[in-house]
Amino acid sequence: MSWIAIGLIVVGLYFLVVGSIGMLRLPDVFSRAHALSLTDSLGALFVLVGLAVYEGFTTNFLRIIVVLALIYLLNPVIAHATVRAAYRSGLRPGKGGDQ
Amino acid sequence: MTAFFLFVLITLTVLMLVYLYRVVRGPTAFDRVLGLNGISTKAIVLLVVIGTTFERVEMFVDISTGYALLNLVGALAIAKFLEERGEAGK
Amino acid sequence: MRILTAVILFALWLVLSSTFDLAHVAAGAVVAVLIAWMNPALPHMRRLSWPAAIAYQPWLLGRILKSGLHVSRLILDPKLPIAPKLISHQTSLRSDGELVALGNSITLTPGTITVEVAPGELIVHAIDEESGKDLLDGRFEAKISGVFAGQEDRR
Repeated sequence: MSWIAIGLIVVGLYFLVVGSIGMLRLPDVFSRAHALSLTDSLGALFVLVGLAVYEGFTTNFLRIIVVLALIYLLNPVIAHATVRAAYRSGLRPGKGGDQ
Repeated sequence: MTAFFLFVLITLTVLMLVYLYRVVRGPTAFDRVLGLNGISTKAIVLLVVIGTTFERVEMFVDISTGYALLNLVGALAIAKFLEERGEAGK
Repeated sequence: MRILTAVILFALWLVLSSTFDLAHVAAGAVVAVLIAWMNPALPHMRRLSWPAAIAYQPWLLGRILKSGLHVSRLILDPKLPIAPKLISHQTSLRSDGELVALGNSITLTPGTITVEVAPGELIVHAIDEESGKDLLDGRFEAKISGVFAGQEDRR
Protein backbone atom coordinates (compact mmCIF):
# COMPACT_ATOMS: atom_id res chain seq x y z
CA MET A 1 0.00 0.00 0.00
CA SER A 2 2.71 2.46 0.92
CA TRP A 3 4.53 1.84 -2.37
CA ILE A 4 1.44 2.97 -4.28
CA ALA A 5 1.37 6.07 -2.06
CA ILE A 6 5.05 6.80 -2.74
CA GLY A 7 4.48 6.41 -6.47
CA LEU A 8 1.52 8.78 -6.49
CA ILE A 9 3.37 11.39 -4.40
CA VAL A 10 6.42 11.24 -6.67
CA VAL A 11 4.22 11.79 -9.74
CA GLY A 12 2.62 14.74 -7.95
CA LEU A 13 6.04 16.20 -7.11
CA TYR A 14 7.00 15.92 -10.79
CA PHE A 15 4.01 18.08 -11.75
CA LEU A 16 4.75 20.56 -8.93
CA VAL A 17 8.35 20.91 -10.13
CA VAL A 18 7.23 21.36 -13.75
CA GLY A 19 4.74 24.01 -12.63
CA SER A 20 7.50 25.91 -10.82
CA ILE A 21 9.79 25.73 -13.85
CA GLY A 22 6.94 27.09 -15.94
CA MET A 23 6.44 29.90 -13.46
CA LEU A 24 10.07 30.90 -14.07
CA ARG A 25 10.26 30.35 -17.83
CA LEU A 26 6.92 31.50 -19.26
CA PRO A 27 6.81 35.06 -20.56
CA ASP A 28 3.63 36.81 -19.35
CA VAL A 29 0.86 36.74 -16.73
CA PHE A 30 -1.56 34.71 -18.84
CA SER A 31 0.94 31.96 -19.62
CA ARG A 32 2.11 31.82 -16.01
CA ALA A 33 -1.47 31.22 -14.96
CA HIS A 34 -1.34 28.01 -17.04
CA ALA A 35 1.70 26.85 -15.09
CA LEU A 36 -0.18 27.60 -11.89
CA SER A 37 -3.22 25.64 -13.03
CA LEU A 38 -0.94 22.68 -13.80
CA THR A 39 0.40 22.88 -10.24
CA ASP A 40 -3.03 23.20 -8.70
CA SER A 41 -4.91 20.53 -10.54
CA LEU A 42 -2.41 17.77 -11.19
CA GLY A 43 0.30 18.32 -8.55
CA ALA A 44 -2.04 18.76 -5.62
CA LEU A 45 -4.26 15.96 -6.95
CA PHE A 46 -1.52 13.33 -7.01
CA VAL A 47 0.17 14.37 -3.75
CA LEU A 48 -3.08 14.50 -1.80
CA VAL A 49 -4.43 11.24 -3.26
CA GLY A 50 -1.09 9.63 -2.41
CA LEU A 51 -1.35 10.84 1.18
CA ALA A 52 -4.97 9.64 1.37
CA VAL A 53 -3.97 6.18 0.14
CA TYR A 54 -1.15 6.13 2.71
CA GLU A 55 -3.66 6.91 5.46
CA GLY A 56 -5.78 3.95 4.39
CA PHE A 57 -9.54 3.95 4.09
CA THR A 58 -10.47 5.68 7.35
CA THR A 59 -12.10 9.03 8.05
CA ASN A 60 -8.73 10.66 7.38
CA PHE A 61 -9.05 9.47 3.78
CA LEU A 62 -12.35 11.34 3.48
CA ARG A 63 -10.91 14.46 5.10
CA ILE A 64 -8.05 14.68 2.64
CA ILE A 65 -10.59 14.24 -0.17
CA VAL A 66 -12.53 17.19 1.31
CA VAL A 67 -9.38 19.36 1.13
CA LEU A 68 -8.86 18.22 -2.46
CA ALA A 69 -12.44 19.11 -3.39
CA LEU A 70 -11.94 22.53 -1.81
CA ILE A 71 -8.80 23.11 -3.89
CA TYR A 72 -10.65 22.03 -7.03
CA LEU A 73 -13.53 24.41 -6.35
CA LEU A 74 -11.59 27.46 -5.19
CA ASN A 75 -8.34 27.63 -7.16
CA PRO A 76 -9.95 28.13 -10.61
CA VAL A 77 -11.93 31.00 -9.09
CA ILE A 78 -8.73 32.69 -7.90
CA ALA A 79 -6.94 32.09 -11.19
CA HIS A 80 -9.89 33.48 -13.15
CA ALA A 81 -10.20 36.55 -10.89
CA THR A 82 -6.51 37.37 -11.24
CA VAL A 83 -6.43 36.88 -15.01
CA ARG A 84 -9.64 38.86 -15.48
CA ALA A 85 -8.19 41.72 -13.43
CA ALA A 86 -5.08 41.66 -15.63
CA TYR A 87 -7.22 41.61 -18.79
CA ARG A 88 -9.51 44.43 -17.68
CA SER A 89 -6.61 46.66 -16.69
CA GLY A 90 -5.27 46.47 -20.18
CA LEU A 91 -2.67 43.69 -20.26
CA ARG A 92 -2.75 41.51 -23.37
CA PRO A 93 -0.86 38.27 -24.11
CA GLY A 94 2.62 38.87 -25.41
CA LYS A 95 3.03 42.18 -23.63
CA GLY A 96 3.62 43.23 -20.08
CA GLY A 97 6.38 40.82 -19.11
CA ASP A 98 10.12 41.10 -19.13
CA GLN A 99 11.18 37.47 -19.12
CA MET B 1 8.68 6.43 5.48
CA THR B 2 9.53 9.44 7.65
CA ALA B 3 12.63 10.04 5.54
CA PHE B 4 10.48 10.11 2.40
CA PHE B 5 8.06 12.58 3.97
CA LEU B 6 10.98 14.79 5.00
CA PHE B 7 12.17 14.72 1.39
CA VAL B 8 8.67 15.76 0.24
CA LEU B 9 8.61 18.60 2.80
CA ILE B 10 12.01 19.91 1.71
CA THR B 11 11.05 19.73 -1.98
CA LEU B 12 7.83 21.66 -1.32
CA THR B 13 9.76 24.33 0.60
CA VAL B 14 12.27 24.75 -2.22
CA LEU B 15 9.41 25.06 -4.72
CA MET B 16 7.84 27.72 -2.52
CA LEU B 17 11.12 29.66 -2.77
CA VAL B 18 10.79 29.56 -6.58
CA TYR B 19 7.32 31.12 -6.31
CA LEU B 20 8.71 33.65 -3.83
CA TYR B 21 11.18 34.71 -6.52
CA ARG B 22 8.19 35.42 -8.79
CA VAL B 23 6.49 37.40 -6.01
CA VAL B 24 9.56 39.56 -5.37
CA ARG B 25 10.64 39.94 -9.00
CA GLY B 26 7.33 39.75 -10.91
CA PRO B 27 7.08 42.64 -13.37
CA THR B 28 3.38 43.33 -12.76
CA ALA B 29 1.22 43.15 -9.66
CA PHE B 30 -0.72 40.23 -11.17
CA ASP B 31 2.42 38.11 -11.32
CA ARG B 32 2.84 38.72 -7.63
CA VAL B 33 -0.76 37.66 -6.92
CA LEU B 34 -0.29 34.50 -8.97
CA GLY B 35 2.93 33.73 -7.10
CA LEU B 36 1.17 34.18 -3.77
CA ASN B 37 -1.60 31.85 -4.92
CA GLY B 38 0.98 29.23 -5.87
CA ILE B 39 2.65 29.57 -2.47
CA SER B 40 -0.63 29.10 -0.66
CA THR B 41 -1.62 26.03 -2.70
CA LYS B 42 1.72 24.53 -1.74
CA ALA B 43 1.19 25.54 1.88
CA ILE B 44 -2.12 23.64 1.92
CA VAL B 45 -0.42 20.52 0.58
CA LEU B 46 2.52 21.09 2.95
CA LEU B 47 0.20 21.19 5.98
CA VAL B 48 -1.39 17.88 5.04
CA VAL B 49 2.08 16.33 4.55
CA ILE B 50 3.17 17.63 7.98
CA GLY B 51 0.01 16.12 9.46
CA THR B 52 0.78 12.75 7.90
CA THR B 53 4.37 12.89 9.15
CA PHE B 54 3.28 13.50 12.75
CA GLU B 55 0.22 11.20 12.44
CA ARG B 56 -2.14 14.03 13.37
CA VAL B 57 -3.90 14.46 10.02
CA GLU B 58 -7.26 15.33 11.60
CA MET B 59 -5.83 18.49 13.18
CA PHE B 60 -3.79 19.66 10.19
CA VAL B 61 -6.62 19.06 7.72
CA ASP B 62 -8.73 21.54 9.67
CA ILE B 63 -5.90 24.08 9.55
CA SER B 64 -5.41 23.63 5.81
CA THR B 65 -9.16 23.96 5.16
CA GLY B 66 -9.18 27.27 7.01
CA TYR B 67 -6.06 28.35 5.12
CA ALA B 68 -7.68 27.57 1.77
CA LEU B 69 -10.79 29.62 2.62
CA LEU B 70 -8.77 32.59 3.92
CA ASN B 71 -6.59 32.44 0.82
CA LEU B 72 -9.70 32.65 -1.38
CA VAL B 73 -10.96 35.76 0.40
CA GLY B 74 -7.56 37.46 0.31
CA ALA B 75 -6.85 36.69 -3.33
CA LEU B 76 -10.32 37.81 -4.46
CA ALA B 77 -9.95 41.07 -2.51
CA ILE B 78 -6.57 41.82 -4.11
CA ALA B 79 -7.81 40.92 -7.60
CA LYS B 80 -10.91 43.07 -7.17
CA PHE B 81 -8.85 45.99 -5.91
CA LEU B 82 -6.42 45.82 -8.81
CA GLU B 83 -9.31 45.55 -11.25
CA GLU B 84 -11.13 48.59 -9.85
CA ARG B 85 -7.94 50.63 -9.86
CA GLY B 86 -7.79 49.90 -13.56
CA GLU B 87 -4.14 50.27 -14.46
CA ALA B 88 -1.55 47.71 -15.40
CA GLY B 89 -0.08 48.11 -11.95
CA LYS B 90 3.62 48.33 -11.50
CA MET C 1 -34.50 19.71 -1.65
CA ARG C 2 -33.79 21.24 1.74
CA ILE C 3 -33.66 17.76 3.23
CA LEU C 4 -30.93 16.89 0.73
CA THR C 5 -28.98 20.04 1.74
CA ALA C 6 -29.28 19.08 5.40
CA VAL C 7 -28.09 15.53 4.70
CA ILE C 8 -25.06 16.78 2.74
CA LEU C 9 -24.15 19.28 5.48
CA PHE C 10 -24.53 16.60 8.16
CA ALA C 11 -22.30 14.20 6.22
CA LEU C 12 -19.67 16.94 5.91
CA TRP C 13 -19.88 17.53 9.66
CA LEU C 14 -19.42 13.81 10.36
CA VAL C 15 -16.39 13.62 8.07
CA LEU C 16 -14.73 16.72 9.50
CA SER C 17 -15.37 16.02 13.19
CA SER C 18 -15.45 12.18 13.14
CA THR C 19 -16.14 11.91 16.84
CA PHE C 20 -19.22 9.75 17.13
CA ASP C 21 -20.43 10.41 20.67
CA LEU C 22 -23.94 11.66 21.24
CA ALA C 23 -23.13 15.32 21.93
CA HIS C 24 -21.13 15.88 18.73
CA VAL C 25 -23.54 14.06 16.43
CA ALA C 26 -26.58 15.78 17.95
CA ALA C 27 -24.95 19.22 17.65
CA GLY C 28 -24.09 18.51 14.02
CA ALA C 29 -27.63 17.38 13.22
CA VAL C 30 -29.14 20.48 14.84
CA VAL C 31 -26.78 22.85 13.03
CA ALA C 32 -27.29 21.12 9.67
CA VAL C 33 -31.08 21.26 9.95
CA LEU C 34 -31.00 24.89 11.09
CA ILE C 35 -28.80 25.98 8.18
CA ALA C 36 -30.91 24.08 5.64
CA TRP C 37 -34.09 25.56 7.14
CA MET C 38 -32.85 29.15 7.19
CA ASN C 39 -31.38 29.27 3.70
CA PRO C 40 -33.32 28.94 0.46
CA ALA C 41 -32.19 25.98 -1.62
CA LEU C 42 -29.60 26.78 -4.27
CA PRO C 43 -31.55 27.47 -7.47
CA HIS C 44 -29.33 25.31 -9.64
CA MET C 45 -29.39 22.28 -7.38
CA ARG C 46 -32.96 21.64 -8.44
CA ARG C 47 -31.92 21.04 -12.02
CA LEU C 48 -28.86 18.93 -11.25
CA SER C 49 -28.98 15.38 -12.54
CA TRP C 50 -26.84 13.53 -10.02
CA PRO C 51 -25.74 10.49 -12.11
CA ALA C 52 -24.51 12.80 -14.88
CA ALA C 53 -22.79 15.08 -12.33
CA ILE C 54 -20.94 12.12 -10.81
CA ALA C 55 -20.06 10.66 -14.22
CA TYR C 56 -18.71 14.09 -15.23
CA GLN C 57 -15.92 14.05 -12.60
CA PRO C 58 -13.85 11.09 -13.92
CA TRP C 59 -14.27 12.40 -17.46
CA LEU C 60 -12.96 15.81 -16.38
CA LEU C 61 -10.05 14.14 -14.56
CA GLY C 62 -9.11 12.26 -17.72
CA ARG C 63 -9.25 15.48 -19.70
CA ILE C 64 -7.09 17.28 -17.10
CA LEU C 65 -4.52 14.47 -17.14
CA LYS C 66 -4.25 14.50 -20.93
CA SER C 67 -3.83 18.25 -21.30
CA GLY C 68 -1.60 18.40 -18.20
CA LEU C 69 0.86 16.01 -19.84
CA HIS C 70 0.73 18.13 -22.98
CA VAL C 71 1.42 21.38 -21.08
CA SER C 72 4.24 19.85 -19.04
CA ARG C 73 5.86 18.69 -22.29
CA LEU C 74 5.58 22.25 -23.60
CA ILE C 75 7.17 23.72 -20.47
CA LEU C 76 10.07 21.26 -20.42
CA ASP C 77 10.80 21.72 -24.13
CA PRO C 78 14.04 23.77 -24.39
CA LYS C 79 12.62 25.82 -27.30
CA LEU C 80 9.44 26.70 -25.34
CA PRO C 81 7.08 26.30 -28.34
CA ILE C 82 4.11 28.22 -26.98
CA ALA C 83 1.72 30.31 -29.06
CA PRO C 84 -0.53 32.07 -26.55
CA LYS C 85 -3.68 33.70 -27.90
CA LEU C 86 -7.15 34.75 -26.88
CA ILE C 87 -10.06 32.78 -28.30
CA SER C 88 -13.63 34.06 -28.33
CA HIS C 89 -15.63 30.95 -27.60
CA GLN C 90 -19.33 30.99 -28.46
CA THR C 91 -21.40 28.74 -26.27
CA SER C 92 -25.03 27.72 -26.21
CA LEU C 93 -25.13 27.70 -22.41
CA ARG C 94 -26.96 30.62 -20.82
CA SER C 95 -27.78 30.09 -17.15
CA ASP C 96 -25.41 31.02 -14.32
CA GLY C 97 -24.90 27.48 -13.05
CA GLU C 98 -23.92 26.16 -16.46
CA LEU C 99 -21.56 29.06 -17.10
CA VAL C 100 -19.88 28.59 -13.71
CA ALA C 101 -19.43 24.87 -14.35
CA LEU C 102 -18.07 25.50 -17.86
CA GLY C 103 -15.71 28.31 -16.80
CA ASN C 104 -14.45 26.36 -13.82
CA SER C 105 -13.79 23.25 -15.92
CA ILE C 106 -11.99 25.26 -18.59
CA THR C 107 -9.80 27.00 -16.02
CA LEU C 108 -9.08 23.74 -14.22
CA THR C 109 -7.86 22.13 -17.44
CA PRO C 110 -4.20 23.10 -17.90
CA GLY C 111 -3.61 25.00 -21.12
CA THR C 112 -6.86 26.96 -21.16
CA ILE C 113 -8.03 29.74 -18.84
CA THR C 114 -11.33 31.60 -18.82
CA VAL C 115 -10.55 35.32 -19.01
CA GLU C 116 -13.97 36.91 -19.36
CA VAL C 117 -17.48 35.51 -19.02
CA ALA C 118 -20.73 36.74 -20.55
CA PRO C 119 -23.90 34.78 -21.30
CA GLY C 120 -23.24 32.98 -24.57
CA GLU C 121 -19.61 34.04 -24.92
CA LEU C 122 -16.41 33.19 -23.11
CA ILE C 123 -13.02 34.71 -23.81
CA VAL C 124 -10.52 31.93 -23.30
CA HIS C 125 -6.74 32.17 -23.21
CA ALA C 126 -5.09 29.12 -24.74
CA ILE C 127 -1.39 28.42 -24.46
CA ASP C 128 -1.04 26.83 -27.90
CA GLU C 129 -3.04 25.62 -30.90
CA GLU C 130 -3.68 22.13 -29.61
CA SER C 131 -5.15 23.29 -26.28
CA GLY C 132 -7.41 25.69 -28.15
CA LYS C 133 -8.56 22.98 -30.57
CA ASP C 134 -9.23 20.71 -27.62
CA LEU C 135 -11.73 23.19 -26.26
CA LEU C 136 -13.60 23.93 -29.45
CA ASP C 137 -14.93 20.43 -30.12
CA GLY C 138 -17.95 21.22 -27.92
CA ARG C 139 -17.68 18.15 -25.68
CA PHE C 140 -17.67 20.34 -22.53
CA GLU C 141 -20.99 21.88 -23.52
CA ALA C 142 -22.58 18.50 -24.28
CA LYS C 143 -21.50 17.07 -20.91
CA ILE C 144 -22.52 20.14 -18.90
CA SER C 145 -25.94 20.48 -20.48
CA GLY C 146 -26.37 16.82 -19.55
CA VAL C 147 -25.46 17.63 -15.95
CA PHE C 148 -28.02 20.45 -15.78
CA ALA C 149 -30.73 18.39 -17.41
CA GLY C 150 -33.73 19.29 -15.25
CA GLN C 151 -36.42 21.83 -15.94
CA GLU C 152 -35.48 25.50 -16.04
CA ASP C 153 -36.65 26.99 -12.79
CA ARG C 154 -38.69 30.16 -13.29
CA ARG C 155 -39.42 32.00 -10.08
